[in-house]
Amino acid sequence: MVPVEFYFMLACVVFTMGLFGALFRRNIIMVLMSIELMLNAVNLVFVAAGRSIGNLDGQIMVLFVITVAACEAAVGLAMVIALFRKYGTVNTDILRLLRG
Amino acid sequence: MSELSNFMSHAVFHALAGLITLVSLMVVASKHPVKSAVFLVVDLFLLAAVYATLESHFVAAIQVLVYAGAVVVLFLFVIMLLNLQPDQLRGLRFNAPEAVTLILSLIGMFIMIGVSVAGKPTGLGDGSLTVEAIADGGGNTYLVAMKLLTDFIWPFELASVLILLAIVAAVVIAKKDHKDQPA
Repeated sequence: MVPVEFYFMLACVVFTMGLFGALFRRNIIMVLMSIELMLNAVNLVFVAAGRSIGNLDGQIMVLFVITVAACEAAVGLAMVIALFRKYGTVNTDILRLLRG
Repeated sequence: MSELSNFMSHAVFHALAGLITLVSLMVVASKHPVKSAVFLVVDLFLLAAVYATLESHFVAAIQVLVYAGAVVVLFLFVIMLLNLQPDQLRGLRFNAPEAVTLILSLIGMFIMIGVSVAGKPTGLGDGSLTVEAIADGGGNTYLVAMKLLTDFIWPFELASVLILLAIVAAVVIAKKDHKDQPA
Protein backbone atom coordinates (compact mmCIF):
# COMPACT_ATOMS: atom_id res chain seq x y z
CA MET A 1 0.00 0.00 0.00
CA VAL A 2 1.27 3.46 -0.92
CA PRO A 3 2.06 5.54 2.21
CA VAL A 4 -0.39 8.36 2.89
CA GLU A 5 2.44 10.91 2.85
CA PHE A 6 2.82 10.43 -0.91
CA TYR A 7 -0.80 11.44 -1.43
CA PHE A 8 -0.25 14.48 0.80
CA MET A 9 2.80 15.48 -1.23
CA LEU A 10 0.85 15.17 -4.50
CA ALA A 11 -1.94 17.25 -2.99
CA CYS A 12 0.56 19.93 -1.89
CA VAL A 13 2.00 20.13 -5.42
CA VAL A 14 -1.45 20.40 -7.04
CA PHE A 15 -2.55 22.99 -4.46
CA THR A 16 0.53 25.11 -5.10
CA MET A 17 -0.08 24.99 -8.87
CA GLY A 18 -3.64 26.14 -8.29
CA LEU A 19 -2.30 28.94 -6.10
CA PHE A 20 0.12 30.00 -8.88
CA GLY A 21 -2.75 30.10 -11.34
CA ALA A 22 -5.03 32.07 -9.01
CA LEU A 23 -2.28 34.61 -8.32
CA PHE A 24 -0.65 34.97 -11.74
CA ARG A 25 -3.36 34.62 -14.36
CA ARG A 26 -5.04 37.80 -15.54
CA ASN A 27 -8.19 36.06 -16.81
CA ILE A 28 -10.99 35.64 -14.27
CA ILE A 29 -12.06 32.33 -15.82
CA MET A 30 -8.52 31.02 -15.35
CA VAL A 31 -8.57 32.18 -11.71
CA LEU A 32 -11.83 30.25 -11.15
CA MET A 33 -10.34 27.12 -12.77
CA SER A 34 -7.26 27.41 -10.55
CA ILE A 35 -9.54 27.58 -7.50
CA GLU A 36 -11.17 24.33 -8.68
CA LEU A 37 -7.67 22.82 -8.83
CA MET A 38 -6.99 23.88 -5.22
CA LEU A 39 -10.31 22.41 -4.04
CA ASN A 40 -9.39 19.14 -5.75
CA ALA A 41 -6.09 19.02 -3.89
CA VAL A 42 -7.98 19.39 -0.61
CA ASN A 43 -10.37 16.60 -1.67
CA LEU A 44 -7.39 14.32 -2.27
CA VAL A 45 -6.13 14.99 1.26
CA PHE A 46 -9.58 14.20 2.70
CA VAL A 47 -9.85 10.87 0.86
CA ALA A 48 -6.25 9.77 1.52
CA ALA A 49 -6.35 10.66 5.23
CA GLY A 50 -9.73 8.98 5.67
CA ARG A 51 -8.38 5.85 4.00
CA SER A 52 -5.29 5.95 6.21
CA ILE A 53 -7.18 6.18 9.53
CA GLY A 54 -10.03 3.89 8.48
CA ASN A 55 -12.84 6.42 8.55
CA LEU A 56 -15.49 7.29 5.95
CA ASP A 57 -16.10 10.87 7.15
CA GLY A 58 -13.45 12.18 4.76
CA GLN A 59 -15.40 10.89 1.78
CA ILE A 60 -18.62 12.49 3.07
CA MET A 61 -16.74 15.78 3.41
CA VAL A 62 -15.52 15.46 -0.19
CA LEU A 63 -19.12 15.19 -1.36
CA PHE A 64 -19.96 18.45 0.43
CA VAL A 65 -16.84 20.14 -0.97
CA ILE A 66 -17.90 19.10 -4.49
CA THR A 67 -21.39 20.57 -3.84
CA VAL A 68 -19.95 23.88 -2.65
CA ALA A 69 -17.47 23.96 -5.55
CA ALA A 70 -20.28 23.47 -8.07
CA CYS A 71 -22.27 26.32 -6.49
CA GLU A 72 -19.18 28.52 -6.44
CA ALA A 73 -18.48 27.83 -10.10
CA ALA A 74 -22.08 28.64 -11.08
CA VAL A 75 -22.18 31.93 -9.17
CA GLY A 76 -18.62 32.87 -10.18
CA LEU A 77 -19.29 32.27 -13.87
CA ALA A 78 -22.53 34.26 -13.65
CA MET A 79 -20.47 37.12 -12.20
CA VAL A 80 -17.97 36.74 -15.07
CA ILE A 81 -20.80 37.09 -17.58
CA ALA A 82 -22.18 40.15 -15.80
CA LEU A 83 -18.71 41.74 -15.65
CA PHE A 84 -18.05 41.01 -19.32
CA ARG A 85 -21.37 42.59 -20.25
CA LYS A 86 -20.55 45.73 -18.25
CA TYR A 87 -16.82 46.18 -18.97
CA GLY A 88 -16.25 44.09 -22.12
CA THR A 89 -13.26 42.32 -20.63
CA VAL A 90 -12.37 39.51 -18.24
CA ASN A 91 -8.94 40.93 -17.42
CA THR A 92 -8.45 41.39 -13.68
CA ASP A 93 -6.22 44.43 -14.28
CA ILE A 94 -9.23 46.43 -15.50
CA LEU A 95 -11.46 45.46 -12.59
CA ARG A 96 -10.21 47.59 -9.73
CA LEU A 97 -13.49 48.92 -8.35
CA LEU A 98 -12.66 47.78 -4.82
CA ARG A 99 -9.09 49.02 -4.86
CA GLY A 100 -10.05 52.46 -3.51
CA MET B 1 2.47 -12.17 -4.57
CA SER B 2 1.76 -9.37 -2.09
CA GLU B 3 5.17 -7.91 -2.94
CA LEU B 4 4.13 -7.82 -6.60
CA SER B 5 0.82 -6.14 -5.84
CA ASN B 6 2.62 -3.66 -3.59
CA PHE B 7 5.00 -2.82 -6.44
CA MET B 8 2.06 -2.49 -8.83
CA SER B 9 0.17 -0.10 -6.55
CA HIS B 10 3.31 2.00 -6.17
CA ALA B 11 3.84 2.02 -9.95
CA VAL B 12 0.22 3.02 -10.61
CA PHE B 13 0.37 5.78 -8.00
CA HIS B 14 3.61 7.23 -9.33
CA ALA B 15 2.39 7.15 -12.93
CA LEU B 16 -0.84 8.90 -11.91
CA ALA B 17 1.01 11.42 -9.73
CA GLY B 18 3.40 12.35 -12.55
CA LEU B 19 0.52 12.73 -15.01
CA ILE B 20 -1.51 14.83 -12.54
CA THR B 21 1.45 17.14 -11.92
CA LEU B 22 2.06 17.57 -15.65
CA VAL B 23 -1.60 18.15 -16.51
CA SER B 24 -2.09 20.58 -13.59
CA LEU B 25 0.84 22.59 -14.91
CA MET B 26 -0.78 22.63 -18.34
CA VAL B 27 -4.09 23.81 -16.80
CA VAL B 28 -2.34 26.75 -15.16
CA ALA B 29 0.07 27.61 -17.98
CA SER B 30 -2.04 27.16 -21.14
CA LYS B 31 -2.59 30.40 -22.97
CA HIS B 32 -6.11 29.73 -24.18
CA PRO B 33 -8.84 29.02 -21.57
CA VAL B 34 -10.41 26.30 -23.74
CA LYS B 35 -7.16 24.32 -23.62
CA SER B 36 -7.01 24.84 -19.87
CA ALA B 37 -10.57 23.56 -19.48
CA VAL B 38 -9.81 20.43 -21.52
CA PHE B 39 -6.69 19.78 -19.45
CA LEU B 40 -8.82 20.32 -16.33
CA VAL B 41 -11.15 17.53 -17.51
CA VAL B 42 -8.14 15.22 -17.93
CA ASP B 43 -6.88 16.24 -14.48
CA LEU B 44 -10.23 15.49 -12.84
CA PHE B 45 -10.39 12.07 -14.54
CA LEU B 46 -6.89 11.25 -13.26
CA LEU B 47 -7.87 12.33 -9.74
CA ALA B 48 -10.93 10.08 -10.00
CA ALA B 49 -8.54 7.23 -10.83
CA VAL B 50 -6.53 8.06 -7.70
CA TYR B 51 -9.76 7.97 -5.65
CA ALA B 52 -10.54 4.57 -7.17
CA THR B 53 -7.12 3.26 -6.11
CA LEU B 54 -7.95 4.53 -2.61
CA GLU B 55 -11.08 2.31 -2.60
CA SER B 56 -13.34 5.38 -2.65
CA HIS B 57 -15.48 4.30 -5.56
CA PHE B 58 -18.51 6.50 -4.87
CA VAL B 59 -16.39 9.65 -4.64
CA ALA B 60 -14.61 8.65 -7.86
CA ALA B 61 -17.94 8.28 -9.68
CA ILE B 62 -19.25 11.60 -8.34
CA GLN B 63 -15.97 13.26 -9.33
CA VAL B 64 -16.44 12.15 -12.94
CA LEU B 65 -20.18 12.93 -13.06
CA VAL B 66 -20.28 16.29 -11.28
CA TYR B 67 -16.83 17.77 -11.84
CA ALA B 68 -15.77 16.49 -15.24
CA GLY B 69 -19.36 16.23 -16.47
CA ALA B 70 -21.04 19.38 -15.18
CA VAL B 71 -18.65 21.98 -13.77
CA VAL B 72 -16.11 21.94 -16.60
CA VAL B 73 -18.89 21.95 -19.20
CA LEU B 74 -20.19 25.11 -17.49
CA PHE B 75 -16.71 26.61 -17.79
CA LEU B 76 -16.53 25.67 -21.48
CA PHE B 77 -19.98 27.19 -22.11
CA VAL B 78 -18.94 30.49 -20.56
CA ILE B 79 -15.56 30.58 -22.35
CA MET B 80 -17.22 29.99 -25.72
CA LEU B 81 -20.08 32.39 -24.92
CA LEU B 82 -17.64 35.23 -24.20
CA ASN B 83 -15.62 34.45 -27.37
CA LEU B 84 -12.46 36.19 -26.11
CA GLN B 85 -10.30 38.10 -28.55
CA PRO B 86 -6.57 37.28 -28.78
CA ASP B 87 -5.49 40.53 -27.09
CA GLN B 88 -7.38 39.48 -23.96
CA LEU B 89 -5.62 36.12 -23.86
CA ARG B 90 -2.48 36.63 -21.87
CA GLY B 91 -0.64 33.69 -20.37
CA LEU B 92 1.59 33.73 -17.34
CA ARG B 93 3.24 37.09 -16.82
CA PHE B 94 6.32 37.56 -14.70
CA ASN B 95 7.81 40.66 -13.14
CA ALA B 96 9.41 41.52 -9.81
CA PRO B 97 6.47 41.34 -7.33
CA GLU B 98 5.21 38.16 -8.95
CA ALA B 99 8.65 36.55 -8.70
CA VAL B 100 8.56 37.27 -4.95
CA THR B 101 5.08 35.71 -4.78
CA LEU B 102 6.36 32.67 -6.66
CA ILE B 103 9.23 32.18 -4.23
CA LEU B 104 6.94 32.62 -1.20
CA SER B 105 4.44 30.11 -2.67
CA LEU B 106 7.24 27.59 -3.24
CA ILE B 107 8.41 28.05 0.37
CA GLY B 108 4.80 27.53 1.47
CA MET B 109 4.60 24.35 -0.61
CA PHE B 110 7.73 22.93 1.03
CA ILE B 111 6.39 23.84 4.49
CA MET B 112 3.11 22.07 3.64
CA ILE B 113 4.98 18.99 2.43
CA GLY B 114 7.21 18.99 5.52
CA VAL B 115 4.25 19.28 7.90
CA SER B 116 2.26 16.58 6.13
CA VAL B 117 5.21 14.17 6.11
CA ALA B 118 6.20 14.88 9.71
CA GLY B 119 2.74 14.61 11.27
CA LYS B 120 0.90 11.35 10.74
CA PRO B 121 -2.87 11.70 11.33
CA THR B 122 -3.58 10.05 14.64
CA GLY B 123 -6.41 9.99 17.14
CA LEU B 124 -9.12 10.56 14.53
CA GLY B 125 -10.22 6.96 13.89
CA ASP B 126 -9.57 3.52 15.21
CA GLY B 127 -8.60 2.06 11.82
CA SER B 128 -11.42 -0.45 12.10
CA LEU B 129 -12.74 0.15 8.58
CA THR B 130 -10.26 -1.91 6.60
CA VAL B 131 -10.91 -2.99 3.01
CA GLU B 132 -12.28 -6.32 4.25
CA ALA B 133 -14.57 -4.63 6.79
CA ILE B 134 -15.95 -2.31 4.10
CA ALA B 135 -16.56 -5.29 1.76
CA ASP B 136 -18.31 -7.17 4.58
CA GLY B 137 -20.42 -4.14 5.52
CA GLY B 138 -21.96 -3.87 2.04
CA GLY B 139 -19.34 -1.96 0.05
CA ASN B 140 -18.03 1.59 -0.05
CA THR B 141 -21.09 3.12 -1.74
CA TYR B 142 -23.55 1.50 0.70
CA LEU B 143 -21.59 2.60 3.77
CA VAL B 144 -21.09 6.17 2.50
CA ALA B 145 -24.78 6.46 1.61
CA MET B 146 -25.86 5.12 5.02
CA LYS B 147 -23.60 7.61 6.78
CA LEU B 148 -24.66 10.50 4.54
CA LEU B 149 -28.38 9.88 5.11
CA THR B 150 -28.21 9.26 8.86
CA ASP B 151 -25.34 11.01 10.64
CA PHE B 152 -24.96 13.78 8.05
CA ILE B 153 -28.64 14.30 7.18
CA TRP B 154 -28.75 17.98 8.23
CA PRO B 155 -25.64 19.00 6.27
CA PHE B 156 -27.12 17.05 3.35
CA GLU B 157 -30.38 19.02 3.53
CA LEU B 158 -28.49 22.29 3.95
CA ALA B 159 -26.51 21.44 0.81
CA SER B 160 -29.78 21.30 -1.15
CA VAL B 161 -30.72 24.74 0.20
CA LEU B 162 -27.28 26.00 -0.84
CA ILE B 163 -27.77 24.68 -4.37
CA LEU B 164 -31.18 26.39 -4.58
CA LEU B 165 -29.61 29.67 -3.44
CA ALA B 166 -26.82 29.28 -6.01
CA ILE B 167 -29.35 28.70 -8.82
CA VAL B 168 -31.32 31.83 -7.90
CA ALA B 169 -28.14 33.88 -7.43
CA ALA B 170 -26.67 32.78 -10.77
CA VAL B 171 -29.88 33.64 -12.63
CA VAL B 172 -30.19 37.03 -10.94
CA ILE B 173 -26.51 37.98 -11.44
CA ALA B 174 -26.31 36.90 -15.08
CA LYS B 175 -29.65 38.46 -16.01
CA LYS B 176 -29.59 41.40 -18.40
CA ASP B 177 -30.07 44.73 -16.68
CA HIS B 178 -33.04 46.20 -18.54
CA LYS B 179 -32.55 49.68 -17.12
CA ASP B 180 -29.12 50.06 -18.74
CA GLN B 181 -29.75 48.31 -22.01
CA PRO B 182 -33.32 48.24 -23.26
CA ALA B 183 -33.25 45.11 -25.36
